[in-house]
Amino acid sequence: MIDRFRKALSLIRPQFYRPDNQHLSPYFRFTDYKKIWGFGMLALGVAALLPLIAVTIIHYQLIQKSIDSEIILRTERVTSNARRAVTYFLDQHLNALRFTVNEFSYDQLKNSDHLKEILRNLKLGFGGLTDLSVIDNSGIQIAYAGPFKLEGKNYSNQVWFAECQKCEFYVSEVFRGYRNLPHMIVTVKSTRPDGKFFILRATLETERLINTLSSYKTGEYADIFLVNRSGVIQTPSINNGEAFKTITLPIPDYSPRTQTLMAADRQMNPIIMGYAFISTQIADTPFILMVVKQKEGMTKVWRQLHTNINTIVLFGIIAILIVITITFTFMVNKLYLADKENAETMASAEQTNQLASIGQLAAGVAHEINNPLALIGETAGYVKDLFFMEEQHRNDEELVEHIDTILESVERCGMITRQLLGFARKFDIKIQKVSLRQIISDVLIFHQKETEYRNISVHVDVPEDIPEIETDRGKLQQIMINLVNNAFQAMDNGCCLDILASHEVPENEVPENVKISISDNGCGIPEDNLEKVFQPFFTTKEGGKGTGLGLTITYGLVKKLHGHISVKSKEHEGTTFILSLPVRIKEEMSDNESSFGR
Amino acid sequence: MKVLLVDDEIKFAIMLSKRLALRGIEVDYEHTGEAAIDKVKQNKYDVAILDVKMPGIGGIELKQKLKGLAPSMKFIFLTGHGSEVDFETGSTEGSFYLAKPLRIETLIEILHGLTD
Repeated sequence: MIDRFRKALSLIRPQFYRPDNQHLSPYFRFTDYKKIWGFGMLALGVAALLPLIAVTIIHYQLIQKSIDSEIILRTERVTSNARRAVTYFLDQHLNALRFTVNEFSYDQLKNSDHLKEILRNLKLGFGGLTDLSVIDNSGIQIAYAGPFKLEGKNYSNQVWFAECQKCEFYVSEVFRGYRNLPHMIVTVKSTRPDGKFFILRATLETERLINTLSSYKTGEYADIFLVNRSGVIQTPSINNGEAFKTITLPIPDYSPRTQTLMAADRQMNPIIMGYAFISTQIADTPFILMVVKQKEGMTKVWRQLHTNINTIVLFGIIAILIVITITFTFMVNKLYLADKENAETMASAEQTNQLASIGQLAAGVAHEINNPLALIGETAGYVKDLFFMEEQHRNDEELVEHIDTILESVERCGMITRQLLGFARKFDIKIQKVSLRQIISDVLIFHQKETEYRNISVHVDVPEDIPEIETDRGKLQQIMINLVNNAFQAMDNGCCLDILASHEVPENEVPENVKISISDNGCGIPEDNLEKVFQPFFTTKEGGKGTGLGLTITYGLVKKLHGHISVKSKEHEGTTFILSLPVRIKEEMSDNESSFGR
Repeated sequence: MKVLLVDDEIKFAIMLSKRLALRGIEVDYEHTGEAAIDKVKQNKYDVAILDVKMPGIGGIELKQKLKGLAPSMKFIFLTGHGSEVDFETGSTEGSFYLAKPLRIETLIEILHGLTD
């Protein structure tokens, strides 16, 4: 599974992530493609995503602000309307009481039957009243009209009685009183004929007030209720409980106008709190109207939309990143491949230059040797000519043999220098028909002496019917000489070198090829080194004896001839290089190559 | 057959001319192109054997000059830089190239071939 994953990864991983060409690194225009890729991706990513993210955040903030102000406005409107309703409810009943004390005399009012009549009329006119009573200046309820039996009750110790004496009109908090039920009262103070005061008191139906408030409740996340100025709940609250409990919310500072603010409840959830201090036209009241809305609930739709937008933005970011990754990786890969091709060309040109320099040096040396060699040859030939003219020397076999040895050596030297000159010229690409047998024979001449001296047996098998191949003679000679040299260096005295050639007939898409294998039974190459043998500067020879370039040059030359080279080896058993070359080759000649060796 | 041999390697020229002389070929030799031109002005030669690379007038240039003086003259070039490419080029121009060190038999064969 892991292997499969690695395999799949290696297919999509860009080539610059697995550079296999350390030897080309000096020729690369850019050294670290991973870094270029990394920085480029980062820069592109930031450039593409930053505006998107910034715009999204700004957009969110604007929307949030707009939603906040909308919620505040709505809350303020609800608070204001509810305040007006509560104020009207209280004002209405206060004015009704004021009308009653002004319209009826004290004697009429303390008449219970008359009072009941008045209560009935008031209920018909305004509604919202539970009972009506008259209390004299000592706090005794002298007349009562209503459902409870409260006549004769003494209110002198009640808080509201003390308060209502201080002003003409009074609105009480919600309290339990003698009936032990939450209720509220409004009172009007008036004067008896004897100059003492009396109080006309009406109990208001708190249910009606609660219903009035409930009618202003908007949505499931809103809570609307009254508290007194100490924060004690007067009408039931959804989130703060029944009457007479104390709210956990902060008690707002006094303001004559309706106010709305952002706050947090005891669970630290954000809330919008609208409030208004209730005050009627003729009397102040102890009530504060509270409208509390849960912000999270109010913005539920927006938060859902927010999540959707976030999802879209997230997919957008992923899509942008994928596009950037694919595009940029493709571009960097192309750049890398172009650079690699350039580096290969430069490395190849430099290699060719080096070879050309070596070739030119060899050519210079060969030329300088040829002249004295010619002189030796002519002088020895002349001596031989002279000997043949004289009977005495002509029959001196030993003398003639010595001269012939000189002449043979001159001829051999001449052949070697000619071949050196021949190699020097082969930096030109010159495609011609070449006989493999001839090439192999030419190359082996170089090693003739070494072969004899080291008792190495060389076996060459080139079938008669093998075709002449179209290739560059010089390059093929160089390849063969490098491979044979390599084999000689790997072999001990008495070993065998096999050079075999075979003809591969074209089949399907495989073109017609010849295959040459050069096998030795020398020291072999350890498995670890096998894949490095064509790498430049890789050598196992002792210090200074090898440059590590021979097989690299060979590899390059084989590629130039559109061929293929591979190696098989077993340590201590031997090595086989297999060279495959097309029988027909397209001529490729660059200016660079054609300038050498002329 | 009268042959003019021009090579800046004096000893080589002497030795080769002696060997040719032993084979019945009349040979004059010179070491510079200038001297060769003077020689051709004074004598008639069938073949000129020229070293390609000489100080002053080189073999190729000398051939052009001598051709002007003696249009029927044939040429053989000697070179320490020889290869089959030069042979091909030289042969197509009606001349022969021989690589140093040379085999006297090959030279004699070519000389006879040119003068027959």
